[in-house]
Amino acid sequence: MALGLAIIILVVVILVVVGILGYFIGIYNGLVRLRNNIKKSWGNIDVLLKQRTDELPKLIASVKGYMKHEKGVLTEITNARSAIMKAKTMPEKAAADSQISAALKTLFAVAENYPQLKANENFMHLQQRISGIENELADRREFYNDSANQFNIRIESFPDMIVANVMKLTPKEMFKVSEEDKKDVKVEF
Amino acid sequence: MADEGRLLGYSIVGFFVGIGLFIKGFSWFRLKRLIENMPTSKVRSLAMGLAEIHGEVVPAEKKVLKSPLTGRDCVYYRYKIEERRSSGKNNCWVIVKSGTEMVHFFLKDNTGSVLVDPKGANVDIPSDFTFNSGITKATPPTVESFLKSNSLTDRTLLGFNKQMRYTEHYIAPKDKLYILGSAGDNPFFEDATAQRNEQDIMMHRGGEGIYFISDSSENDVLKKLKLKVMGGFFGGGALIVVCLTIMLIYLKMF
Repeated sequence: MALGLAIIILVVVILVVVGILGYFIGIYNGLVRLRNNIKKSWGNIDVLLKQRTDELPKLIASVKGYMKHEKGVLTEITNARSAIMKAKTMPEKAAADSQISAALKTLFAVAENYPQLKANENFMHLQQRISGIENELADRREFYNDSANQFNIRIESFPDMIVANVMKLTPKEMFKVSEEDKKDVKVEF
Repeated sequence: MADEGRLLGYSIVGFFVGIGLFIKGFSWFRLKRLIENMPTSKVRSLAMGLAEIHGEVVPAEKKVLKSPLTGRDCVYYRYKIEERRSSGKNNCWVIVKSGTEMVHFFLKDNTGSVLVDPKGANVDIPSDFTFNSGITKATPPTVESFLKSNSLTDRTLLGFNKQMRYTEHYIAPKDKLYILGSAGDNPFFEDATAQRNEQDIMMHRGGEGIYFISDSSENDVLKKLKLKVMGGFFGGGALIVVCLTIMLIYLKMF
């Protein structure tokens, strides 16, 4: 009787210990994956930022001849491009990204005034390509923010916070889009 | 004595099933956490690696299957034909034929569509067709023709209907799917010719070994997984303890 009971108690204890240990290992691995997801999603944004930055000189070259009176817009794009190339941290890149997005919106809106430019195949191709990248960038920013938000919720929730404290995890910054970038482009004719 | 021996046999089997369930509970727990932690990607901005997408099934050109038992257009099916057989006092269902077939398809959301190779996926879909035939219940014509084409029969030697059970699961065009898998290079698309990002990508079973397809929403998938995790940990644990107790009683250790 005593031996049988002892075996049962031992098995129950083993199951509970293994269960709790497995649960916390699961939490640990989940947090590691979340942290790496954030890094990866930031990397995926960076790839697109680079692609868009590479397309900008071609775009400027294709519109320069037509938009002689829009030097302001072109200078704005050139400055924003330099800013994003110099940017090292995420907030710097986010700010420069907003600047480029806003300048591009203005450029494409202004281009509507130049029918010859609109008929230029090269410009249309670049506009399409850059707009495509812009859309992908918007999705990936959203993805990054979802990942960061999920991570921040996890590390502040119980019982994940116990593991997060041991791992010394701190909340991740969101990719903020400036208020300017959210506004519609106003074009004066 | 024979009954006691059978009970011991059942408890030994139950003990190992319990251990299996308990271990499986961890893999369900891992999958549940993974789904909870993974934000949904939009198809047009899919990046390589593990990704989660939602969308509608669109067949790849000319690539549609016919489900064997109902003759429905589909991109994936699995079926099982079972027969009730008796031996002495025992009755049991025996699988007489089963199979799975699949083709590549596209998953379309409001931003684009991406190619999906369902090979190797854990496809979690409810049965779309179940039918039990018996003495007074004949099999439907589509099922009968499938049986004939596979040299099977649903009749006994005396010409009565056999007791058979038919189950079919399929993914049809326009079905809404949830997919968690690896976004990898599309082998059917020449590199650097893609006009859009998603053209060069294919969802498949990647190196991580995680590939899950379901026609339920993400919330429903998580609810099901939660039940499985609970069942695995607590059900498996309870089965281990109960079966072990029976074994110990049999061994007169109680």
